[in-house]
Amino acid sequence: MIWVETLINGALLGGLYALLGIGLALVFGVMRVVNIAHGEFMVLSAFCAVLLSSLFPQVPPLLMLIPVIALSFAVGWLYQAVIVNRVVTSPDPLSPLLLTFGVSVILRNVMVEVFGADVRSLQVGELSRASLEIAGLNIGIMPLLTLVLAALLFMALQLVLRHTEFGRIVRATADRRDIVRLSGVKPDRVYNYVMGLSLALGAIGGVLLAVRSSFTPFSGAERLLIAFEVVVLGGLGSFWGALLGGIALGMAQLIGLKIDPNAGLLYAHLLFFIMLLIRPSGLVSSRV
Amino acid sequence: MALLDVNGLEIFYGDLQAVFDMNFTVADGEAVALVGANGAGKSTFLKALVGLNEERRGAVLFDGIDISQMPAEQVSRLGLIMVPEGRLLFDSLTIEENLLMGTVNRRKGSWTLRRVFDLFPILEERRRIFPGQLSGGQQQMAAIGRALMSNPRLLLCDEISLGLAPVVVEQIYRSFADIRREGTAVVLVEQDVKRALATSERIYCLLKGRVSLTGPAQGLQPEQLTHAYFGN
Repeated sequence: MIWVETLINGALLGGLYALLGIGLALVFGVMRVVNIAHGEFMVLSAFCAVLLSSLFPQVPPLLMLIPVIALSFAVGWLYQAVIVNRVVTSPDPLSPLLLTFGVSVILRNVMVEVFGADVRSLQVGELSRASLEIAGLNIGIMPLLTLVLAALLFMALQLVLRHTEFGRIVRATADRRDIVRLSGVKPDRVYNYVMGLSLALGAIGGVLLAVRSSFTPFSGAERLLIAFEVVVLGGLGSFWGALLGGIALGMAQLIGLKIDPNAGLLYAHLLFFIMLLIRPSGLVSSRV
Repeated sequence: MALLDVNGLEIFYGDLQAVFDMNFTVADGEAVALVGANGAGKSTFLKALVGLNEERRGAVLFDGIDISQMPAEQVSRLGLIMVPEGRLLFDSLTIEENLLMGTVNRRKGSWTLRRVFDLFPILEERRRIFPGQLSGGQQQMAAIGRALMSNPRLLLCDEISLGLAPVVVEQIYRSFADIRREGTAVVLVEQDVKRALATSERIYCLLKGRVSLTGPAQGLQPEQLTHAYFGN
C-alpha cells in the first residue's frame, strides 16, 4: 500500500515537472532553440511571487500566479523581440545556445544582487500540508491540484495549437519560416508570442515548485535540468510526451527516495540516463 | 498603368549578381510567361518580387506602390502572391489548414474554401489529410489553392508542372481559365515552353540573368525563341 501511495505521489509530482518542461518543449518545437535561461526565468517568477505576497500579505499567495503569469508573458515577449530573434535564424546552432546561456548567467547574478542569496520558499499555509484520504491512501491536496492544473494546461495548449488560427500560424511557422511570410505572417512576431507563452507556462511551474521546495538565485540550473530531462524523455517537441516524461521522472524520484532517503534527484537522473541509452528518441516521437 | 512595373531591377546572391537590368511589366488581368534555361534567374526574380530575396536594387511598382524594398509579409497583403517552386506546403497542417493559411493576410475577395474545393474537388475529399500523404499533383493543387485563398491580384506560379504527370498538368492548367475569370493576372514560370506559350498573352525569355526576348506569345518564330533560350 505504501508503494501505491509512492507511485501516486510520484505521478502528482510529475505533473509539476511536466510544467517545467512544456515551455522549453514549445520553444524548441517551434523555433529549434534550446532556451538555456528557461530555468532562471522560472526562478525569477518565483521571486516575483514571493515579493508580491510579502507586499500584499492579505492576498492568498497562490493568487499571485495571475500577475506573475502576465508579467512572465511580457518578459518572454520582450526577451524574444530584443535578444533571441537576433540569432534565431543563425546558421550556427551554437549562437542561440551561447546567447541564452549568457542571459542565464546575467539573470542569476542580477537575482543575487537584487534578492540576495538566501534560501526562499513561497508559504501557502495550511494548503501545503492538507491531504485527502482515499481508500486508505494519503494524497496531498497541493500536488493533486498541481497535476490537475498541468493536465488542464496541456489540454488547453493542445486545443489552441490544433484548433485556432493562432495555432495554425505557429505550426506553419515551425514548418516553413520563409513560406509563412508569403501568407502575410511575420515569423519574428510569432516567435515573440511563443516565447511569451513558454515563459508564462514556466512561471506556473516555477511558482508551484517554490511552494513545494525552497529555492535560491542558483536554483535555475537544477530546474533547467529537470525541464530538459522531461523534454528529452518525452520525445523532443512532443507535448503529451512531456507530460509522460514528467510523470516518469516524478515516480523515479519518489521511489528512489523511498529506497534511499538521501538520494535526492539521483534516481530521476538515472532513469533519464538509462532511457537515453535504450530509447534516445523519447517515449513519444512526434513533432509539435 | 501596368499592374506590375519592374524597371532596371538587379538581384544579388551574396557577391554574385543573378539578374541584370530587368524590365518587366504585367497589365491587370494579363497572363505572362517567363521562360528560360535552368539557372537563368527566373525563380530568383519571382522571389525578389515577393520580398523573399532582400538583396535587390531598382524600381518595382505594384499597383502604383513601391515594393522594391518591402518585406514579404507586407507584399502579400497587397495581393502579389506566389505559388513557390516545389509546393512547400506546411507538413504539420492538414490540407484544409494549409488552404486557410492563405486567409491570414485578410484580403477580401471571391475566393473561399468552398470555391477552391469546387475548383479542385479532390482537395475536399482530402481536406483532413496531411500533405505528405498526397500525390504530387494534389499537393500542387493545394499550393495553388492556398495562394488563391489570399485573393491575389497577381499570381506568380513557379514551375507548377515540374515532376507531374501530363494528365495532371493538363488538369491544373485547365483551372487557369477559372482563375483568370476573376480578373487575376498571372505570371507563369515554366520549363514547358509550349504549355507556357499556349496559356499566355506575352512572353519574356531570360538568358543568364538578362531578358533575351520579349513579345506576344502567339506568332513567335521557333528559331527566334531557340536563340533567346540557349544563346549562341
